Amino acid sequence: MMSKLISKHTRLALAALGAIALTGTVASVVNASEPPLVGTPQAVKDLHWGEVLFYFYQDDYLQALIRLGAAQDFNRLTHHAVEAELLKGGLYLSLGQHEEAGRIFKTLLNDNVPLDVRNRAWFYLAKVWYQRNYLDQAATALASIRGALPGDLEPERHLLEAQVLMYLGRYDDAIRVLERWQPAKGRSDVWSAYARFNIGVALVRNGRTGEAAKLLDAVGQIRAPTQEIAALRDKANLALGYVWLKENRPNEAKTVLQRVRLQGPQSNKALLGVGWADSAERRFTKALAPWLELRERNVLDAAVQESYLAIPYAYAQLDATQQAVEHYTLALDAFTAESQRIDQSIAAIRSGRLLDAIMDNDSGDNVGWYWQLQNLPDAPETRYLYHLLATHEFQEGLKNYRDLKLMQRDLAAWELSLIAFDDMIDTRRRAFAQRTPLMQEVLDRVDPDQLEAQQRDLELRIAAIQRDGDVAALATAREREQWEKVLRIEQVLSRADPNDPLVTEMREKVRLLRGRLLWDFSSSYKARQWKAQKELRELNVAATEARRRWVLVERAREEYPARTERFSQRVTHLQPRIATLSARLAAAAESQNRYLAQIAIRELEAQQQRLAEYSLQARFALASIYDRASSAAPATGGGAQ
Amino acid sequence: MNSERIRVGIMSRMSIFGPVFVLIALLAASMPLFAQEAGAPATNVAGEEFRSLDQEVQALKKEVLDLNRELFVLEEELLFPANTQVAVFVSMDVGEFFALDSVTIKLDNKEVANYLYTPREAEALLKGGVHRVYIGNLKAGEHELIALFTGQGPNARDYRRGATVTLEKGVGAKYIELKISDRAARAQPEFVVKQWD
Repeated sequence: MMSKLISKHTRLALAALGAIALTGTVASVVNASEPPLVGTPQAVKDLHWGEVLFYFYQDDYLQALIRLGAAQDFNRLTHHAVEAELLKGGLYLSLGQHEEAGRIFKTLLNDNVPLDVRNRAWFYLAKVWYQRNYLDQAATALASIRGALPGDLEPERHLLEAQVLMYLGRYDDAIRVLERWQPAKGRSDVWSAYARFNIGVALVRNGRTGEAAKLLDAVGQIRAPTQEIAALRDKANLALGYVWLKENRPNEAKTVLQRVRLQGPQSNKALLGVGWADSAERRFTKALAPWLELRERNVLDAAVQESYLAIPYAYAQLDATQQAVEHYTLALDAFTAESQRIDQSIAAIRSGRLLDAIMDNDSGDNVGWYWQLQNLPDAPETRYLYHLLATHEFQEGLKNYRDLKLMQRDLAAWELSLIAFDDMIDTRRRAFAQRTPLMQEVLDRVDPDQLEAQQRDLELRIAAIQRDGDVAALATAREREQWEKVLRIEQVLSRADPNDPLVTEMREKVRLLRGRLLWDFSSSYKARQWKAQKELRELNVAATEARRRWVLVERAREEYPARTERFSQRVTHLQPRIATLSARLAAAAESQNRYLAQIAIRELEAQQQRLAEYSLQARFALASIYDRASSAAPATGGGAQ
Repeated sequence: MNSERIRVGIMSRMSIFGPVFVLIALLAASMPLFAQEAGAPATNVAGEEFRSLDQEVQALKKEVLDLNRELFVLEEELLFPANTQVAVFVSMDVGEFFALDSVTIKLDNKEVANYLYTPREAEALLKGGVHRVYIGNLKAGEHELIALFTGQGPNARDYRRGATVTLEKGVGAKYIELKISDRAARAQPEFVVKQWD
C-alpha cells in the first residue's frame, strides 16, 4: 500500500546497493559480465526475500523496507538474515537515517559474519560517516575493507575514498587513489570519471589550475557510450574551457569548449564561452555566430541572457553602431519582459501556489517524476520550477515535500483501511456471538472421554481374542449367526437319546457343519486379525484427530474473543497514531512549502538582480554609443561588416 | 574621451566579468552533481535551516515507515491468518525465451488474480525479485490452482501457456511459486509450479 516515495535522487545514492542482494558466487559472475545486474539470476531461498528485492530493484525503497521489516517480524528471512540486515542498513541510509543505518552496519562487524558482508558493512559505514562529515572515521572505515568489493561497489569505494581525501584537503593522495585503481577490462570507468571531475573542480577552486586542467582534460575526452557519461564529459570540457578563458588562453578554451555537444544541457554556456574566446582574440564577427545562435534559445538561461549583451557588444566592436543600438534595445526589452514575468512568478509563489501544480499531477511514479516537471504548464507559479531544480537545496527540499505529500496520501488510505478493519472486527465479534450457542450444542453432544473409553475397550477385546486365539470372535455377522445355530443344535442334541440313529446322523451333520465353520474361521483368522488391527489403528488416528480438533475448537472458542479484542486494541491504538502523524506530516509539508517558496523567491530575486545589472550595462552602453554619436556629429551611421 | 573610457570599462567588464560570472555559476552547479552521485558531506550541501527541516522530515519518515510496517503486519494477520493463508508468487530465471506480460491465477476454477507487468516490474523479476501476485484464504484440503502466463516467446511470438497444480492445504500458510525459467536444450521457456510450506 505504501506508495513509491523515494525519488531519483536517493536512487542514485543507492544504485550500487544492488550488489548487496548478490551472494558471493553470483557477485563474481556479475564482475565478469556487462551490464552487471540485469538478467543475473538470484539465488533466492526465501520467497519473501525475493519479494523485498522485487521492490528494491524497482527503486521503491520504502516499500522494500516495509516488506523487509514485516518479513523479519514474521521470521520469514531465515536464509537471508545477514543480507537482509545489510540491505536494511543501506535502505535506512537512503532515507537519511544515519544513526539507524550506522547501528545496523556496526552489528555486522563481527567474526561471525562472512568477510564479504563485513567488507560491505565497512563500506556503508564509511558512507554514513562521510555523509555526516566525520571524514577521519570514514577514511578508517574504508581502510578496514579487506580485498575487493563485489560489482559496482568496488569503483564506488575508490570514488568515496578519493572524495574523502579531497575533503580532507589531501588532493595528491586523492589523485593517487584514482591512479592506483584500474577499472576491469572492457568496463567503462564511470566512477573514476566522476571522481576526477570533482577533484578537478576542487583544484580549480584552490587555484591549482595546472593540475586541475590535466584531470578535466582527461575526463573531457573519455569515451561516452551513455548519455550520463556524455553529460559528464560536457561538464568537464565546459569547466576547463572557462578555466582557460579566465587564464586568458582563448585558443585552448575554444578547443575544449567545442567538444561540448551542441544540443546538450551545457551547450548554452559552451556557445557563450566560444564567443568569448573569439572575442578575446578580437574576432568579433566569428564571435557573433555562437551568440546569435544562443539568443534564439530560452531566455531563462543565464548564458542566453548574457548573449543579449554580448551581441551588441560585438557589433559595437565592429563599429556597426546601428545594429549595436538595435540589439541593446532588444536586450533591454527582453530583460524588462523577463523581469516582469519573474514579478508575476514571485507573486504567485507568495500566494502559496508553487507546489500545487506538481502534486496535482503526481501519480507517485518514481521514474517519470522529474521528467514531468519539464512539461508543467507555463503558469507564473511553475514557469521557473524546473529551472530552480538546478539548485541542490531546492531539489532536496522538493523531494522532501513530495515524500511528505505522498506519505500523507498513504496514511489517508490506511485510515480508510483501519475503518474497514474496525468494521470487520465488529462483524466477527457479532458472528461469533451468534454462532457460539450452536457451537456449544455440538461440543456438548460429543464426549471425547467417553469415545476414548470405548476405544480402549475395543483394544482390550481385540487383545483378548489374540491371546485366546478365539477365531470365532472375528467372524462376520452371518457366520456368527450360523455358529450360534450350530451351538444351539449341539445343545439340543446333547439332551437327545444317543442311541437314536436319527440323532446320531444329526450329530454327525452338526459336527461337519461345526468343522466347516471352524475351518473357515481359522483360515481367515490371520487376515481378519490383520484387518482388525488396521481398523483399530485407523480408529486411533481418527480418534486422536477428533480429540485434537475438539480441543482446537474448544480453545478457539475460548481464545477467539480475546484475539478479536487484541486486534481491536491494535486498530484502536493505530488510529490516533495515524491522525497524529498525518497532522505532523501536514505541518512539515507546510514548512517545507514555505521554505521552498523562500528559496524560489530568493533565486528569482537573484535572477532579477542579474537582469537589472545586465539592463544597467545595456543602458550604459547605449548612453556611450549615443554620447559618441553626438560628439562625432555630423554622424554617418554605422553598418555591420 | 569620456565615452571612450566608458566603452573600455564596459568591454573589460564584459570580457572578464562575463565569463567569470558564468564560471562561478558553473562551478557552483558542479558540486550538486557530485552530491547526487555519492552524497556530499552535510556541511557542504545545505544551510542550517535546510538541515534542521531535513532532519525533522527524515525523523518523520522513519516514524511513518515504522507505522506502515505495523499496519502491513496487522493487515496480513487480520485478513489472512496463517492457518488459512495461501499466497502465490511469480519468479523468473534468465528469461531469454520468454518476456512476461501477464499472469492470471484461478483457484478452484475461480479467477482470483490477473496481473499485467510493467517493463520495470518484469526487469525486477529478471534481476531476482519475486512478486507476490495473490494472497488469500483457503480451507484445509485439496484445491486446484491454474496459472496462465502470457507474453512473448522465442522469436518474439505471442506466447500463452498454462500450468495446473493440485495443492493440499494444511494447517499452516501455503506458498506457491510460479517459476518461469529457460529450457536451453529446447530453446523454450519452462513453467514450473513449486509448493512451499
